[in-house]
Amino acid sequence: MSNTSFPIPMLHSTIRIMAPFLLAAIGGLFTELAGMLNIALEGLMLIGAFFSVVLAAATGSLFLGVVLGILASIVAAYVFGFISLNLRANIFITGLATNLFAEGLTVVLAFQIFGNKGVIRFANLSKLPDLSIPSLQRIPVIGDIFIGHNVLIYISWLMVILAAIVIYKTPFGLRIRGTGSNPGAIEAIGLSPRRYGMYAILISGFTCGLAGAVLSLQMGAFVPGITSGRGWIALVAIYLGNKNPLGIFIACLVFGFAESFSNYAQGIMDVPADFILAFPYIITVVAMIAYSIVQHYRLKGSEG
Amino acid sequence: MAYLQMHGITKLYQTSGVLANNAVDLSIEENEVHAVIGENGAGKSTLMKLLYGLEHPDAGETFFRGERVEIKDPFAANRLGIGMVHQHFKLVPDFTVAENVVLGTEPRKRGIFIDRQSAIGHVAKVIEDHGFSIDPKRKVKELTVGQMQQVEIIKMLYKNAELLILDEPTSVLTEQEIERLFETLRNLLSRGKTIILITHKLEEVMDMSDRVTVMRGGKVVAVKRTVDVDKRELSRLMVGKDILLQVDRPAKEPGETILEMQGVTICCRGQQRPLLDGVDLKVRAGEIVGIAGVGGNGLAEIEDVIGGLRHPGSGKMFLNGEDVTRYGAEQLREAGLAYVPADRLNRGASLQSSVRENCIVTKHHDFLKAGVLLQRGIREFTRQLIDHFSISAGEGMRAGNLSGGNIQKMILARELSAESNFILFSEPTWGLDIASSQFVYEQMMDLRKRDAAVLLISSNLDEILGLADTILVMYRGRVVGRLANTEDVTKDIIGEYMLGIRDDSQGVAVASPSGVRGE
Repeated sequence: MSNTSFPIPMLHSTIRIMAPFLLAAIGGLFTELAGMLNIALEGLMLIGAFFSVVLAAATGSLFLGVVLGILASIVAAYVFGFISLNLRANIFITGLATNLFAEGLTVVLAFQIFGNKGVIRFANLSKLPDLSIPSLQRIPVIGDIFIGHNVLIYISWLMVILAAIVIYKTPFGLRIRGTGSNPGAIEAIGLSPRRYGMYAILISGFTCGLAGAVLSLQMGAFVPGITSGRGWIALVAIYLGNKNPLGIFIACLVFGFAESFSNYAQGIMDVPADFILAFPYIITVVAMIAYSIVQHYRLKGSEG
Repeated sequence: MAYLQMHGITKLYQTSGVLANNAVDLSIEENEVHAVIGENGAGKSTLMKLLYGLEHPDAGETFFRGERVEIKDPFAANRLGIGMVHQHFKLVPDFTVAENVVLGTEPRKRGIFIDRQSAIGHVAKVIEDHGFSIDPKRKVKELTVGQMQQVEIIKMLYKNAELLILDEPTSVLTEQEIERLFETLRNLLSRGKTIILITHKLEEVMDMSDRVTVMRGGKVVAVKRTVDVDKRELSRLMVGKDILLQVDRPAKEPGETILEMQGVTICCRGQQRPLLDGVDLKVRAGEIVGIAGVGGNGLAEIEDVIGGLRHPGSGKMFLNGEDVTRYGAEQLREAGLAYVPADRLNRGASLQSSVRENCIVTKHHDFLKAGVLLQRGIREFTRQLIDHFSISAGEGMRAGNLSGGNIQKMILARELSAESNFILFSEPTWGLDIASSQFVYEQMMDLRKRDAAVLLISSNLDEILGLADTILVMYRGRVVGRLANTEDVTKDIIGEYMLGIRDDSQGVAVASPSGVRGE
């Protein structure tokens, strides 16, 4: 193993791996700012993953697959939002229900359509097109990390920038943040906090659908429970990232690196595979503890 | 026709069944300060919410500048030029002043982006035009309460409001801030604005208003020109002249002191005025002491201190001769406290638990054997209480499924079963029907007969006058009146103490009504 070739591919795959985290977390940021703990990210992502790959295979169009996968996720988000906001069910319970529903639905449908509860491969599915951005290539040494990714990876970065603009630069973002901070203020000026809550949930449906599409289309297959806790880690990333897009980007980078590292380390390091596979989750726990310690001291500091 | 005319406004809250406004007429002239006064629950705030489009009336019409209007939401009110400052500010603490002001009507550039520069510019202009001194770029959470209120006023002015509604604007302000607010209001008046001032403070009415509408029990009881009335008459109109409740209260010589407070004071950070200011009180055996006052003047704090939920900053409290000042709720109960709290649904009972569990919660140790609760004994005990206090409930029922009257009976049963010689009742009949109230009164008189010391905290004057031997009146955290409850004591007199028109606290400690000085 040479010193230069090891980190570059690992970092390259970090970029690829972090995209679903990033997309789900950015959507979750909107619901978080609107004052809701959205634990349905995982389920919405799963629905996006299933429908995008299945419908891409069925229609023969990756683009249509992605669009329809996102649409499916938005529909699920709407139902989740309607029950939580309009029918005033506890959002934690409805979020949990969404996750369980998504898990069941995808397996049942997979079995119904393909007669298979396991991994479903789509051999005829074309690969996600790579995007070449020559200006990135010219960056010395680390330029290699950023090139040669598929188009959805770059879209996920665009989403971060877009989210930052929407949240901080538009009236819509101002109102979303107002809804979370003091719904009474939104109500008093004649706007509906519930409506802005719904908008935020639909946005999270959109980005989670896309996140799911990235997962399954990259693999060209659907695996039951393909999201394997990424929605939960995305939720952690929102808090670690201090509820702002840049912070979330950095948090997702850390999680992406952890997973990428565990992929590489399996073949190289003389450590039990179970431990290495658990590495991303250990990082999550460590990061969460570090975060709460920092928060604790910050609070203490502001009091004193 | 008047500038604003509301006619026959009726509002029934379906869920609670409260008729908050009953055929209310309100008439406001252009460029006047019109005070709307009344006690808590008189319907003032509801009327203003209807006018501002936050609630919708079940009946009635509103005319503004001669035209019939339907105000379906605050946007519609703003479009008509009606603005409102809520009693509890509606601000986003993390936003800047400018962001709070423009929220909902943000100036835009290129159609989709907030134009920050122009927002700050516009807000700065409103601030400058009206002589405020707030930096529009500061975050609201960094402002003082007085400044937050200014932001609310700026919000209205930014939206070009001509008719300004202020709901209890002075309730959270210090004296200096109140002065500053009144200055602002006079300034706005000179610019042709019209102001509706909701309040229950009479000095403000006398100082600021041109006319006054008095509400009581959801109805308008009087409309007067301020120059034609005095505080005394207004207080009489606010309190009303209902028939006193009839309870047989035989003369009785009180025994030794059971509960005593000495100079109990509570200061709250960030507030100039203490919540309780040197409160002295004594409750003797076989005596009922009643404490009256308008909400926010220290009644809740006295309840908290005696209940052991809040410790005084200074002063002492004794129960049966024992210094209980620093005791918590459990220790106080061991020292002989029984307590029927005002907030019976949260503090007085656990609605998720069964009647049985609620009945034994203060004495479950008595039913313990080897760390296990003896169900048979508990059932027996609960059934006895249910029989004795005629509670319509099964012992296994969830307390939350009981009616309000029965929940209160259950709490009474539990507290009286402790057979303490001191019992605190706070708002014991609030929201209860006549029969249940009567039951509570009988229990209190029975306690008095059995030589228990009873402290009754109540905003219901009929109750205080009907039951108490000694009456204390609280105003701004101080005991401003101490009266022996004789024939001469009337609702009017207590009402005047409650509203700060009379104040004995600077002079005589115990005064009979005949010795009471006026303003």
